[in-house]
This record gives sequence, C-alpha cells and structure tokens, in this order.
Amino acid sequence: MPRPAANTASAPAERRATPRPGRRRAPWGEWLIGYAFVLPATLVIGVFGLFPILYALYMSVHRWRVRRGAFVGLEQFERTVGDGGGFALFLAGLAAVALGHWLWTRAYTERGGWLRAGQVAAALTLVAAGVALSVGFGSMQHAGDPRFVAGLGRTFFYGAISVPLQIAIALVVAALLYQPIRGRPLYRMLFFLPYVTPAVAGAAVFRAIFSPREERLANTLVGWLGIDPQRWLFEPRPVGHLLFGDLAARLGIELTGIWAGPSLALLVIILFGVWTYVGYNAVIFLAGLGAIPRELYEAAEIDGASGSQRFWAITVPLLAPVTFYLTVLGFIGTFQAFTHLYVMRESAVRGAVDTASLVIFDTFYALNDFGLAAAQSLVLFAVILAVTLLQQRLFGRRALRA
Amino acid sequence: MSSIRIALLAGLLVLGGHVLARGDYEAVDPSGQTVVFWHQHGGVREAGLEAIVARFNTENPYGITVVAQYQGSYPEIFQKMLLLVGTPDAPNLVVAYQDQAAAYHFADGLLDIRTFLASERWGFDPDDYADFFAGFIASDVNQVLGGQLLGFPPNRSVEVMYYNADWIAELGFDGPPRTPAEFEAQACAATEQPFSGSVTGAASLGYEITLDASRFASWTFAFGGDVFDAETNRYTFDSAAAIEALTFLQDLFARGCGDIVTERFGDQTNFGLGQTLFTVGSSSALPFYEGAVEAGAAFVWSVAALPHTTPAPLSNVYGASVSITAGHAPEAELATWLFVKAFTGREAQADWARASNYFPVRASVAAELEDYFAANPAYATAFELLEHGVSEPAAPGYAFVRNLVAAEMAAILDGADVASTLARLNDEANRILIDQLAEID
Repeated sequence: MPRPAANTASAPAERRATPRPGRRRAPWGEWLIGYAFVLPATLVIGVFGLFPILYALYMSVHRWRVRRGAFVGLEQFERTVGDGGGFALFLAGLAAVALGHWLWTRAYTERGGWLRAGQVAAALTLVAAGVALSVGFGSMQHAGDPRFVAGLGRTFFYGAISVPLQIAIALVVAALLYQPIRGRPLYRMLFFLPYVTPAVAGAAVFRAIFSPREERLANTLVGWLGIDPQRWLFEPRPVGHLLFGDLAARLGIELTGIWAGPSLALLVIILFGVWTYVGYNAVIFLAGLGAIPRELYEAAEIDGASGSQRFWAITVPLLAPVTFYLTVLGFIGTFQAFTHLYVMRESAVRGAVDTASLVIFDTFYALNDFGLAAAQSLVLFAVILAVTLLQQRLFGRRALRA
Repeated sequence: MSSIRIALLAGLLVLGGHVLARGDYEAVDPSGQTVVFWHQHGGVREAGLEAIVARFNTENPYGITVVAQYQGSYPEIFQKMLLLVGTPDAPNLVVAYQDQAAAYHFADGLLDIRTFLASERWGFDPDDYADFFAGFIASDVNQVLGGQLLGFPPNRSVEVMYYNADWIAELGFDGPPRTPAEFEAQACAATEQPFSGSVTGAASLGYEITLDASRFASWTFAFGGDVFDAETNRYTFDSAAAIEALTFLQDLFARGCGDIVTERFGDQTNFGLGQTLFTVGSSSALPFYEGAVEAGAAFVWSVAALPHTTPAPLSNVYGASVSITAGHAPEAELATWLFVKAFTGREAQADWARASNYFPVRASVAAELEDYFAANPAYATAFELLEHGVSEPAAPGYAFVRNLVAAEMAAILDGADVASTLARLNDEANRILIDQLAEID
C-alpha cells in the first residue's frame, strides 16, 4: 500500500519548525547543573569501574612482580593464551555460534526457498563454530598457560551445568510458590536462606556433607541406594569415568576431555552453586510472575488449556526477559565465582576444580606475578564479554520482544 | 646559587644521610619512636605477646612505643602487605614466612638484619648470639638472595610424629617406631587390630597424612635427603631420598595401612578418638592433640621424631619470623630492631614459650622452662629434637611450589610412578624458581 505523500513531504518541514532539543544552546547554569548531577555517578564508575580495568591493562603490559618492572608489550597475553591465533579462533567460534543462530532464525522468518538453504548454511556454520572452538581451545592450551586454559574450560563446564540447573529449578520453585499454598512466606524465606548464608559457612557445611568418610551424609544416602562410598570433594576423576568407565572400556571407547565431563569434586561444587542461587532466582521469577496479566491465564482456562499448557504457553514465554536477565547474571557470576571454590578445593584433586578465577588468584598471591595475573584477568574479562554478547544475540531480542 | 640548586643539594644530603643510615646505625638515636607490629596471634598468644610488648614499652630506656596489631591470618597479612610493602604505610615490623619475606624483597621492602647483627653498639655480643639455635637463624638466611637475613626468629616449631602409646603396647611393640620398617609394621598392625579404647566404630588406620609440602620435606629429611640444594640454589624434589621416602609412603598406602586426611584437622580428631595410631604434624598443635585425646579415648600418647634412616633424627623445623620493613626513618628502623632484640631475649622468650607453646629460639631458656617441661612432657620430648633441626627453603614462589608438591603427593599416593612424578615436579618447581629469580636485580 502506497504511503501518504503528505506525510513524507511534511516531515522535513516539521523538523525545521521544531528545533531539536539537543541543538538548543543551554545557558551555562543548566550545563553546570546537568554535569553536577552526573558527576557523582561518573566518579564512582570511573574510580571503581574503569580505573581498575585500565590499571589492569597497564599492569598486564609490564613485568610486575610485587613492583613494576620492564615494559613487555603483549608478552603476558602470549604466555596466557599463546600467540593470539588460538584465542581469536576461539572468539570467532563464539561469533560463529551467533551467526549460525541468526541464519537459522532468518531461514524460518523468510520461509520459501530460503528455509532449506538457510538451514544448511546454519548447520554448516555451527559445525564450523564447533571446529573453531575446539581447535582454538586446543591451540591456547598448547601454546599458552595450560593451567589457565584448563581453568577456563572448567569455568565453562561450571557455567554450562550450573546456570541452566539454577534457572530450571528456580522456575519450578517460583511457579509452585506462586500458588496459594499455606505457609508461602515461610517457604519463600527458606528457599532464599542459602543466598544470604555466608559462602564460607555454607561451603564448610558442604565439605562436611560430602566428606569421603563413610558415615557422612552424602555417603550414607548413596549407601541406601546400594552405591559404594564416594570420595566426593577428593575425587579428581571425571564423572563420565565414574559412571561409564567400565562400559566404555568394554566397548573400547576412551572418554576424554569434554566427553568425560567435570570431575566429581567440581560437580559437588556446582551443586553448591545451584543450592545457593535457586532461592535468589526464584524470588526474581516471583516478581516476574506477578507482572503477567491474570486475564491471559483466565482466557486460556476458558479456552480449555491445561495447567502445563498454560505454564509452557504463557508463563515461560512471558518470563523470557527475566530468564534472560538471570542467565546473563548467572553466567557472569559463575565465571567470577571464587569463595566457595576456594574453600572447597583440595590438593587431592590435583587442580580439578581450579576455575579461571582460582588460577588468577594463585598467579597473583602464590606466584606474585601481578603482570601475568592482570593479563589472565583481562582474557577472562574478554571471554565474559563475548559470552554475554553471544547470549544477547541468542536470547536477548527474543526476550525483549516478549 | 639558585634556590633550585640549594633545594637539590639539600635533597641529596638528606638522601645520602638516609643511605648512610641504612648501612650504619651506630650514631642513630631511636628515642621516642613508635613501632607498629603486625602479627597473626589471637587468644592466649595475643595476650602473651601484649604482655611482652607492655613490658618493653615500660622498661626500654629510649621511650620506644611498640603497637602490636592483630591483622588476621598469615595469608591476610601477606595480602595486605603486598599492597603496602616498600611504602611508608607499611608497618615497621611484620610476621612473615621465609618465602613471603622473599616476595617482599621484590619491592626492596625489607631490611637485611645482618646490618643490625654486625653493629657493635646494637647487635648481640658473641656469647649472647651463640645462645641462639644456629639452625633457627639459618632458616631465615635466604640463599637464593645472596644470603640476606630478611627475618629473625622469635619462635619455632618442629615436625613430630604423634603416637598412641597404649595402642602400641596392645599391639605388642616395645615403643614408638624408630625406623621406617618399624613404622610400617606398627601402622599395618593397627589397621588389622583396632584400639581397645577406641570410641568410634569406624575402621582403624595406621597413619593419616595431610597432603602438604612440609610432610614431604619431613619424610625426605628422615630418609637422609633434602628438598633444596643450597649450593646450586635449586630444588631437589627428585633426589634419591625423596624417591625412597615417597615410595615407602606409596607402599604403605597400597597395603591399606595409611590414608590421606579428608577433613580439617581430621587427623587430630581421629587420633583423639583412638581410630588412628600415627599422625605427623607441627609441635605447635600439642595442646590441640591434648584436647582431642581428653575429649576422645583418653589414652597415653606422646611425640617422637619421624622414623628415620639417618643416624640422628633430622627434624623439620619451621615457623614464621619477624621482618623489619624498609622505607621508614633510620631511627624507627633501629627502634624496631631493638624490640626484636628484646623479644628474642631470655626473659621474653621464656614468657613467650609458655604463652604460645612455640619453642624458644635460645638454648639457655630451657633452664627457665623446667617446670613447664615437667607439666608438658610431650613438649619436652619435642624440644630435644631441635638440636638436629633442618629447614625448608626460603625461596620466592615457594607458596606456589608447595601447592604443586601437595598435588603430586596426592598423585603418588594414588599410585602414580614415583620417580617420573617427582622428576616432573622438580622441573616445574625449578622453572618457577628461575622465573622468580630472573626478576631480582
């Protein structure tokens, strides 16, 4: 349908007639008042946000062992992730995941002949992304600091298992707590309690529960299921080996790397993370649930939708912005997680729970290599940024639309 | 002469005077100085330290005032110091392990205490100095940093073997083991035959080991080796003695006679319950073992040197020292040293030993502790081991290396090949050491 000509013709005239607010020359007093208002926030962000990042950048290009040494350019980054090719390939892999997703959704939007071609292109891009991620990661591990790169891998494991579990359980808990059940405030408080419990205290309790001793709680529970006592936080072997090691050996398959999964010790720590954050996420979900119009549920009910249909067709899509927010925060949180990992790690697992943040801590305080620790921090910062952008690409727009 | 030139000359004179003062304190007057001392002692130890400080503040003829401040645990103090070392905001005196002192040296943050020891006016007279256990002061000599003395010991502990004497008698042995073979025989017998007085239903165990570099060093010393070569300034974690020691432990564990400690102070707890026959740990834990036994199976127990293959038992002596920070006025630096000198004097040492349960650093203090020895026989036994004390290295980066050692111990006790694991550990440890030393001028 042709657009009215009058509209297009009158638009420039309107722009001329109405001066743009930004173009108006404000009196000096207004300028000063405006800047005075933003000054405190600018100072806080500048001093506590930007300055540390810039200072870390400054440290990372120097040899810096307690005191500043010579300028070394990008040497510390090379020590961390190799010559940069592997890291760039790894980031390109993350970008390719986003591209693959875009092609896939685009294909469905365009339909027609695009559908098949788009699906093929998306599939090829995702395969390429997988190869780029794998080769890039391997290259970093080979040419960079194996401790840090392995720590980065564990961090991905930690986030990839922990965050979806936290979100899924929290959503179910929130949906249950949203029902008119007796003692609802008490349940809300109980679920929120782990979040406000000091991490060190909670981790100490988990240490006791998941002690290798036979009489401790976790081993007592698995004993009831006929399972032998486990070493839990002292077990460096991957879960895949513990569960399917015999079967894999019989089939002649060797479970290694990502296929072997995280160590049992890391899995226990992931469990701690889930226990801590489910309550917090549930409270946020409850706020989101309160914002969904009741009329939608009533209309669906009149149309004969079952409870689960209402949950999947109304609750889940309309909570998408909250889910997106919690997912982003969750991933950033897991990438920065430190305290409970530090408390629960044991020498016996030979570094099997050392995520990137723990490696950085050791580099700083045990090796006293401030420059290398700063470079490692900035690499972690870049990875968190890339993962956050990827999440924004994959889920952000859909969440905003919802 | 322009005002700029005058100011420059004045600055040079001040700087020159300061440099001179750092090497020569003979003419410096410490009167009226305030000394800030950061330490990690809490509870009874803090009270004992405060008493020593109060007496010094009252009795020293220079009007020096020491302010002792509890600043958290060793790691907390270390983390705070890393930000302050080399600046005037650093305390005058700080508790530091030898490797931490080496780290502070990266920022030229500590004074070499040899300067004070060499002073005719402020040092010790030769007889007085000879009273110190030589090995204690030697443990603060930083070989990799040109033999600098970056700390001075106010106390030390020694690694000992804790044993259940009643259980050993029940098993039919004459006394605690003196050799590794005897140790293995008793540990395995205890695994087979639980202690009659045990107050736990859990399976008995011969030996529980904490995965820790100090345990590694102690067993290596017991087998006649060392973990560091002071001549080449390199780690020797793969020495023949270390391989022999770790092979011995691996065999012990393979036979089911030993296990690793899986809970904080779990070895103390299990020992007290009568579940574990032997543990190895610091003598500073004597009061905690006493409490665990009293609250547990209430048996007769004591300590001894680790079973050894050497003619005399070589015991691992360790402990944090106190370090004097640089960057203060010479008067304050001297005042700090005078407090260190008083803290390590005979009277203060006797008081400090009673309050802290650490060992004094002077041999003559033993005479003043006769009643304490009589009341604490295990302490007296451990004190006799100090004569043959040896120390772990005072190398920068040792904190990180300790983590590596603990991890490789875990691997070996899990069955990894001893020789190749220790060779890999040694290569990695020396790579770290070389990397650290590369940054020292």
